[in-house]
Amino acid sequence: MSKKLFNLSINGRDEGVVAQPMASLLEVLRDGLEVNSVREGCSQGGCGACTVLVDGELRLSCLTPAGTVEGKAIQTLDGTADDARFQALQEAFIEHYAAQCGFCTSGMLAAAYKLLDANPSPSRDEIVEGLSGNICRCTGYLPIIEAIQAVAAMKIKAA
Amino acid sequence: MLNLLVPQSTDEAASLVASHAGDLRIMGGGTNLLRYVNKTGAKHVMAVSGLGLDGVQKPDHGWSLGAATTMTQIRREVSIEALQDAAAGVGGPAIQNMATVGGNLFAREPYGDVAVVLLALDATIVRGGDKQSLADFYAEWGSGDAPTGLITSIDFANPSGGVAYVKRGWREINSATVVCVAAHVTQAGGKVTDARIAIGGVSAHPVRCAPAEAALKGNALDTASIAAAAEDAQKAVSPSTDSVASDWYRKRMTGVFVRRALEQVT
Repeated sequence: MSKKLFNLSINGRDEGVVAQPMASLLEVLRDGLEVNSVREGCSQGGCGACTVLVDGELRLSCLTPAGTVEGKAIQTLDGTADDARFQALQEAFIEHYAAQCGFCTSGMLAAAYKLLDANPSPSRDEIVEGLSGNICRCTGYLPIIEAIQAVAAMKIKAA
Repeated sequence: MLNLLVPQSTDEAASLVASHAGDLRIMGGGTNLLRYVNKTGAKHVMAVSGLGLDGVQKPDHGWSLGAATTMTQIRREVSIEALQDAAAGVGGPAIQNMATVGGNLFAREPYGDVAVVLLALDATIVRGGDKQSLADFYAEWGSGDAPTGLITSIDFANPSGGVAYVKRGWREINSATVVCVAAHVTQAGGKVTDARIAIGGVSAHPVRCAPAEAALKGNALDTASIAAAAEDAQKAVSPSTDSVASDWYRKRMTGVFVRRALEQVT
């Protein structure tokens, strides 16, 4: 199939990008639009490093064809500077050493953000389930869980 | 690269399926299909998520699920008790937002847990406009290629007996399936009147285990009949080896998990 022009809404901005409809949203974001916060870990849906928000819900961009998200609101970390909860999570990740190589971090932050959105006072088991789609090879997960517990205790409302 | 088709109506979708037949694969969330579609030789991927085929309805005495209903949507309907554990075991939160119940029917091993429960519940599907039992669908699939045709809904009646679902994976959450077992057992006067035992992870698609079901029927559901059913199930299956588990381990775990499922049936 030939490439076509897609109009995508990325972090509130309308972006035009030329791509194959079956190109993954991950490829379009990174290669087409230089949205580099989104990572390619496995391209199979197994690691969660490519996690973005589509219409406010967690989605794996590696398994999302670009042609299926026209007209939908796509959010990545790059659009979170004004969001108090995202900022608190990022600071907590730094304080609690929840990022080492940082490759899983974008996906972890997206999952953590949505977890606290749905469940502002999660139990430890609920945090573990909320992160169950994200693999980390460096930290052993404990600092990530602790960072999220710390933010939950602050009871911050999202912007 | 593959061609993406995004039909605007179910009629358009059905006619695309009919005209492209074996060159076309249908995508729900794409969480299973897109991992292997390049190896199928297909030319077209047809996305059905925008067609209003998602949604849960509760007709008398049962459930009707649109084929594009996601795992997350199933989990939000907590009164669909029989599917909760299986849906919760499909991937993590992002995959659950994407993966559809229709797609799960086609999910190649070592995936497809919800389909195993639906098979044990005697679910029916509407495929290409015609109603078919899920058991007949899988019989048609056999050991060849999956049947074509657009599935629009999956229905099942409220279980009349006790239902249990157990899964052996490698992680507690978000794990591929070594084996999983769904059992639906009805009893009267202290004897089993009917039994459905469906097993996943041991074949390309979920299978019923007739010998294990026969070992229960007419008997009390006790240690002896459960042990006999578990042994029959273990003998009956012919699993494959993949990156998740070996054939001999899957065979052994079939016996263990059929026993556990039957012990948990209330």
